[in-house]
Amino acid sequence: MSDCAIDVRRLHKSYGGVERLHGISFSVDCGEVFGFLGTNGAGKTTTIEILEGYRARDSGEVSVLGTDPARAGRDWRNRIGLVLQESELNPVYTVRETVAMFSRYFRRPTDVDATITSVGLAEKAGERVGRLSGGERRRVDVAIGLVGDPEVLFLDEPTTGLDPAARRGMWALIEGLRSAGKTVFLTTHYMEEAQRLADRIVILRAGAIAASGTAEQLSRALGHATRITFLAPSHVGPAQVAAVVGASVEQDGQWLGFRSNQAQRDLTALLRWAQEDGFELVGIRVSPPTLDDVFVELASGDPSGGDPSGGDPSGDPSGGDPSGGAP
Amino acid sequence: MNDATLAGAQARYALKGFLREPRAFVFTVVMPLFLLVILNGIFHGSSSLFRLRVPFAVYYTPAIISYQVMLAGYSSLLIAVTTERERGMLKRLRGTPMPSWVFLAGEILRTIVVVAVTVVVLVAVGVGVYHVRIEVHTVTGLAVYTVIGTACMCALGLATTRVCATTDAAAAAGPFISLILGFISGVFIPAPVMPTWLLDAGKLFPLEHLARGLQQAFGVRGSTGITAIDLAALAAWGAAGLTVCLLTFRWEPHDNW
Repeated sequence: MSDCAIDVRRLHKSYGGVERLHGISFSVDCGEVFGFLGTNGAGKTTTIEILEGYRARDSGEVSVLGTDPARAGRDWRNRIGLVLQESELNPVYTVRETVAMFSRYFRRPTDVDATITSVGLAEKAGERVGRLSGGERRRVDVAIGLVGDPEVLFLDEPTTGLDPAARRGMWALIEGLRSAGKTVFLTTHYMEEAQRLADRIVILRAGAIAASGTAEQLSRALGHATRITFLAPSHVGPAQVAAVVGASVEQDGQWLGFRSNQAQRDLTALLRWAQEDGFELVGIRVSPPTLDDVFVELASGDPSGGDPSGGDPSGDPSGGDPSGGAP
Repeated sequence: MNDATLAGAQARYALKGFLREPRAFVFTVVMPLFLLVILNGIFHGSSSLFRLRVPFAVYYTPAIISYQVMLAGYSSLLIAVTTERERGMLKRLRGTPMPSWVFLAGEILRTIVVVAVTVVVLVAVGVGVYHVRIEVHTVTGLAVYTVIGTACMCALGLATTRVCATTDAAAAAGPFISLILGFISGVFIPAPVMPTWLLDAGKLFPLEHLARGLQQAFGVRGSTGITAIDLAALAAWGAAGLTVCLLTFRWEPHDNW
């Protein structure tokens, strides 16, 4: 367990008599970016707040850097960094004043200006926080999370509410943290984000772990396949395409699409058929399976079954391994 | 950096923020100054109307000082801390290694500085414009009551954050309670013309003791105004406030209570 940055076993938590976490188990290794995925209400924030020491658990074992967060003190707080989901910054201070004040709370802070530069705000250091954009403020949040030089950084939905450009900027920042060897616990409800950033992913659904693994493992294990879409001429219907590729074809206006487990073979068959019959397929798009597909399927699934590895309320830690087969 | 130094740094940081917040500055520093000028302007020379034995300014200058201590220590601190809690700022602080008391000490120290500076300005206006006389006994009483009164009001302001769920509630409760106490504590309406039952009601609360003590220090020749009963009342209210604060203070927004 010593090389585990975070270790959670059979964690239970109820609010107002309703159980919100049904004995979940997972672990996070040092130096890993760990993606903790789920819809609103799945229990992400409850879990992260237990790990951060804000909430008491009902039962189970929780260890962060070898310490129980519920009993952790100042030494432990010196080793973790927090980026909370909803915590505003005082608009009247400048970026540098804000980060500098937080640096004083830690025993071994990093250099304030270097930290501000590392989150890409060097040119805004003298600007008041109130004049920053949403994306820039979120970067100040990250700077505050990093200024104590933490071993583990908790990022609770760091890109929620950001515009696409700001979101990509935040992604680059988190990728930089990974290169720097930080352990990052990232919660998000954006599949794209977890897929791009996380070494390993746990998907939480209704307080239980629905699936876990790398992004690729999850997609493959759930039997999802490459999605192929195109615009066909009006005389070509879904039934004809289905006969060629041997898969069920969906129609959306003029667009036709199907999923394939053997993209090269099916695509070749499709293109040869179009070539021989002398018509043209426009806008051919070949998309690899996304975690989004996995997630939509899991989230819409019946919680009592039909998922690959365990809405198992007992929360068997090995239940994280997707066993394959689409529900 | 040791914790005492950290508390000092926290206080400087809080003071800097306060000075950049126009609303807080106007309500705690500018408004008492206006009250002093306006009340003296209206009632100048009419102290016999209020059955006062001292010139009007000698009554009102310490009265407005006591009210300013309440506005800055109680009302303004209540609103500031409730706002920071509602915005999740306190929750974030709670997640750092900073000890909780450092934050609270920083807020109280910041308030004491604001009160001290404002009191000096109010006294300077009283002396310079309205010919209020300041002697050693006045300064002694002023110093003792300002420090103890501010500490008491800060403790009560922090305690009240527990019953104010939101900034809106605090922004209503702080000034309203201050105003009510101002009227029943001989701050706005001189005590000699007030009904006895209302004055007796005022005596139950700390502002009356603060105002009366300060008025003695200014108005009674040779008196510091320091009396056991007034000090005891302020100390008791302060201790009660501190106890409630230590037992019930919340760091997270009201939704999470």
